Amino acid sequence: MATSTATYSETAAREAARGRGEPAWLVEARAEAARAFTATSMPSPALRPWKYTDVSALDIEAFAPDAAFAPRVTGVAPAGGFAGSLAAALASHGEVVREHLGSVVPGTEGKFTAANAAQWREGVLVHAPRGQAFAAPVTVAVEGHEGAIFPRILIVAEPASEVSIILRTSSAAAPLLAAGVIEVVAQADSRVRLLIDTRWGAVTQEFTTLRARIGRGADVQVGSIVLGGHIVKQTVEALMEGEGSTSTIRGVAVGDTEQHFDFVTLQELIGKKSSSEVEIKTALAGASRSVYYGVTRVEPTAIGASANQENRNLLLSPRAKADADPVLEILTNEVIRCGHGATVGPVDQDALFYLQSRGLDMRQSLVLLVTGFFQSVISGLDAPGLVEELESALREKLATAELE
Amino acid sequence: MSGATMTQPILELRGLKVSIAEKPDIHIVKGIDLTIRPGEIHALMGPNGSGKSTLASTIAGSPTYVVDEGQIIYQGADITAMSADERARKGVFLSFQYPTPIPGVTMVNLMRESLKARRGAEVPAREFLAELRATLSKLKMSEDMARRYVNDGFSGGEKKRAEILQMGLLKPDLAILDETDSGLDVDALRTVSEGVNALRRPDMGILIITHYERILNYIEPDFVHILFEGRIVKSGGFDLAKRIEHEGYDPILKELGITSTKVAEGAAR
Repeated sequence: MATSTATYSETAAREAARGRGEPAWLVEARAEAARAFTATSMPSPALRPWKYTDVSALDIEAFAPDAAFAPRVTGVAPAGGFAGSLAAALASHGEVVREHLGSVVPGTEGKFTAANAAQWREGVLVHAPRGQAFAAPVTVAVEGHEGAIFPRILIVAEPASEVSIILRTSSAAAPLLAAGVIEVVAQADSRVRLLIDTRWGAVTQEFTTLRARIGRGADVQVGSIVLGGHIVKQTVEALMEGEGSTSTIRGVAVGDTEQHFDFVTLQELIGKKSSSEVEIKTALAGASRSVYYGVTRVEPTAIGASANQENRNLLLSPRAKADADPVLEILTNEVIRCGHGATVGPVDQDALFYLQSRGLDMRQSLVLLVTGFFQSVISGLDAPGLVEELESALREKLATAELE
Repeated sequence: MSGATMTQPILELRGLKVSIAEKPDIHIVKGIDLTIRPGEIHALMGPNGSGKSTLASTIAGSPTYVVDEGQIIYQGADITAMSADERARKGVFLSFQYPTPIPGVTMVNLMRESLKARRGAEVPAREFLAELRATLSKLKMSEDMARRYVNDGFSGGEKKRAEILQMGLLKPDLAILDETDSGLDVDALRTVSEGVNALRRPDMGILIITHYERILNYIEPDFVHILFEGRIVKSGGFDLAKRIEHEGYDPILKELGITSTKVAEGAAR
């Protein structure tokens, strides 16, 4: 325990960064984040985003950082671009990294994000240069083993560029803490697609912050499919700064046993005519639980903005639970449309009987109902081959889910 | 096949009494005996609230209702305690009065899954499509319907046609048509009825449940039963349906010396 506590100290962070040969500015940023980590207490359940996920007893320092952790990046960047480790990018794309790393999610912002900024290893940079498009999606495989990992992903899409990223997370059966930070810089008229396929092992706890800064006419779409993990908390924030910027956040999750999912979304509409959609659906078996807290904030500058957020939860077992809390903060009168909806409820018994009357047994009927329920989200994911794979993973999970 | 097997009824209801699962004190079906033999079409008629739809759902195995007494014998086997899906796989088909919308699930997807279940084996895509197309053309329906989500945003007529389409594909041995004529205009009624006639086989039994005799002008029944307050109070041939068309239920009930127990109970209070 003493060793890992020392690992999280400012001195240790500074020394480790120097030892990796990081540039001075980054060593300082690491030290600053480590200081913030020590100075910041764990988020309290009194804070609204943490109301249903009480981490006050969680001791990050009890998890020793996995020094060997390195995400695997597969993808070919167009000329002048980059897809690979952040550590490697420091040499070849140092200016891009220096300009953007920590610019969207500062390393001093919170307990988990500070830990990430101080401790991330290797990291990932995906850089789409001006006017260029990646020919195929970049895949990032995050594989955890034991202790703590701090996945750090920086996505920079220059004006009129296009990039698509598929992030897959998995882990072994040993206790793992994953505190991730994903920063997206989507400059004017760029298009960024990010699909997160979460399949952690049964005792992994994830706390990830994803934030996108979206410029004029740019479009960012984030999709998240959560099947694995014990505690999965994903905070996804879209800052629509540019005029006509758009964002979509889509999520589906299937919970079982004691799984606990916590989704927090923020759609901050700042630019004129910006627009944003959030649709998150969960199906919960066993004693699993889903928590959703989503804020749509329309700033006074966001004239002609439109936004919608929906959270729908299907309870497949009487022990499953869901809490949905969508919040609207509209600070201008000139919005086009601003809606929200949230539902929590059991499977429609009439629909179940209808399917059973067609010869499908209880479980087959449920699988069909749940895939139908997810259809609106999944059909928007814009990743043809992957969608089929996900659907079959989803069916597989439902085939053994606890329904009592 | 022996002669006995040939004449084995498709469906036999023996002293069937049914109540609502969540309200066991409410008895809806109060003792029904009914035998449907292969090739026969039976019409079960009666005013609203007589228990027609309850009976239809109970035969199909709806968990909303419980059988308090009596038996449901299907092709010689007691299916009273059998689950709805098992009954369906054995060839019982219920065409719903109000088919449930299932957004996100296409008709094609459902039909393929249900055909697979009915056969107890995988149905290759090519074979399935060939059968679907053959059934669509037999029923004079377009492929568009098959691509849509199950009953989602369907008009009344489309819903009923979609039920008949599924019936055509699943080839049941017992088809229960619950108020298949309700909500249909004359043209839709004709289309749906012609569909049922086209799907009729000499080895199947059909039970048509209806409030009005309208549909019976297109699908002529061999037997007509009048259900009143949970009991079959009169059975006859097609002429009985014709009589209801002209006179309504009241004169027949009066003739039988039946007064509503609900009215009687009300008067006694």
